[in-house]
Amino acid sequence: MENSTHESHLRSDNSISYESPYPVYAMAISSRIQQQRIAIGSFIEDYSNRVDILSLNPDTLSIKPHPSLSFDHPYPPTKLMFHPSTPSSLRNSADLLASSGDYLRLWEVGDNSVDPVSVLNNSKTSEFCAPLTSFDWNEIEPKRIGTCSIDTTCTIWDIEKGVVETQLIAHDKEVYDIAWGEARVFSSVSADGSVRIFDLRDKEHSTIIYESPHPDTPLLRLAWNKQDLRYMATILMDSNKVVILDIRSPTIPVAELDRHRSCVNAIAWAPHSCRHICSAGDDSQALIWELPTVAGPNGIDPISVYSAPSEINQLQWSAAQPDWIAIAFSNKMQLLKV
Amino acid sequence: MEGFLGVRKGAWTEEEDNLLRQCVEKYGEGKWHQVPLRAGLNRCRKSCRLRWLNYLKPSIKRGGFTADEVDLIIRLHKLLGNRWSLIAGRLPGRTANDVKNNWNSHIHKRVVSCKEEVKGKAKQITKINVIRPRPLTFKKNVSWSINPSPKMVNIEVQLGHGDNDSNHSALTVPSNEDDILLWKDLLNGKESITVAQELKGPTTTFMAEENAPWTKTGDHFFDDMHGCWGDLSFDVDLWNFSNQNTKL
Repeated sequence: MENSTHESHLRSDNSISYESPYPVYAMAISSRIQQQRIAIGSFIEDYSNRVDILSLNPDTLSIKPHPSLSFDHPYPPTKLMFHPSTPSSLRNSADLLASSGDYLRLWEVGDNSVDPVSVLNNSKTSEFCAPLTSFDWNEIEPKRIGTCSIDTTCTIWDIEKGVVETQLIAHDKEVYDIAWGEARVFSSVSADGSVRIFDLRDKEHSTIIYESPHPDTPLLRLAWNKQDLRYMATILMDSNKVVILDIRSPTIPVAELDRHRSCVNAIAWAPHSCRHICSAGDDSQALIWELPTVAGPNGIDPISVYSAPSEINQLQWSAAQPDWIAIAFSNKMQLLKV
Repeated sequence: MEGFLGVRKGAWTEEEDNLLRQCVEKYGEGKWHQVPLRAGLNRCRKSCRLRWLNYLKPSIKRGGFTADEVDLIIRLHKLLGNRWSLIAGRLPGRTANDVKNNWNSHIHKRVVSCKEEVKGKAKQITKINVIRPRPLTFKKNVSWSINPSPKMVNIEVQLGHGDNDSNHSALTVPSNEDDILLWKDLLNGKESITVAQELKGPTTTFMAEENAPWTKTGDHFFDDMHGCWGDLSFDVDLWNFSNQNTKL
């Protein structure tokens, strides 16, 4: 991790690019270190979309697609995630990928093919389903996946049994993102502008720890710092600020990082350091911030800046690859060396 | 309130409607507790508000629901269930009450009979209990710290260090007891919050713990909370406080 406190620009030879035939949105980096696979999902406004599996070769610093591992996906995947740890139940080389769209689907990514494992469908009638905006895979209890949807509910699935563990009406409006804190605690953000924490041991109550200052400004994304569970980050719709929250001090953000020049689209905490966070937005920049113990009077400046050719829509910083940040803009996916 | 308990119940007469309408036109909506007094109405304040919102308000659409509206209601009900206020939110000019009544009297029968046909063919679907958690909020000007487990070293709380402005005072919690809890165990369990902490001296308001490096304390955070709270003795007085407002 860089220790410099002044801004530095990442050199372009410290990045690896991959160009896809279609616009890219969802991305996931496999947590299996030996294989270094990356899944990217297309964003075509149509029923038929694709998910491609790429592999990263760290020695030659190249990304290679596997045509046999590319598969069709109904509707653009709103999020992709690999199984958080190496499951012992799968064969050695197979990996489990989850995608959200109209339903939560699980796919087994083998060496030569991707096989669908299950479609987790909770709708009681077969006619309508509420599209899922996002989901999160619980790292401590990998059989648990939490999904969130535009029908204001969050659903917790037991994917081993393929049943719903619990379904909560989490918010008053569409829920846009969900993040697990620990095995039974998760939090979610919604169009109603609130960040709420839920505990599965007490389903009758939730706690609002932050509400957007202008009422009903939707909160679009939420990231919970896995290295230090006291801190969360969220972004508001059409806002250039990254709001850092301390769950011990509710309602008042600990920091607002506002150096982006346009709206922020994605945030990711550093997987290996509890005080670094990366954000990317429509100003085509990816900024890495280091959160200080004491804030200066002028706010916080980023320690690293990367300028992409166009607006960055997605950001992933994986624990399996802490030296690389993956970003997606227009048709390209790029890995940036930190 | 007026002082005598005999408020009128039952249907609203035209004179009462007129009085209410004039009152709201004069004073605006809101402050419903003053409306019965100002209008000279012998009605409960809640009744006045509901009457206005559901019937007298000029923006309410009269007349039956159009086919489009009915279609929208059916779709939204499939998606949202019996949450009438949310459904009415998408139907301008219609109150939640109207939507619900319309549903129960007309649409419900149609949809139920259709559904039963479908269900007969579809496989048995187990009913899932959907729970709606009640949100607890915190008052904006009061900040408080949850003390994480006493085993944790990096604790923000310190007691009584008056010199540094940016101190948090111990456990400033909102005085409304309902607002306290994230974790119910805290109420049941016993713990004197001031017990067993290693105070590291004054902390700044910001990302605290200037004394300690950013260690990976997160892992133990929640688990330890539950473990410890159950064991120690709880000093109830601590929770009733004093809105010792701390600044952030």
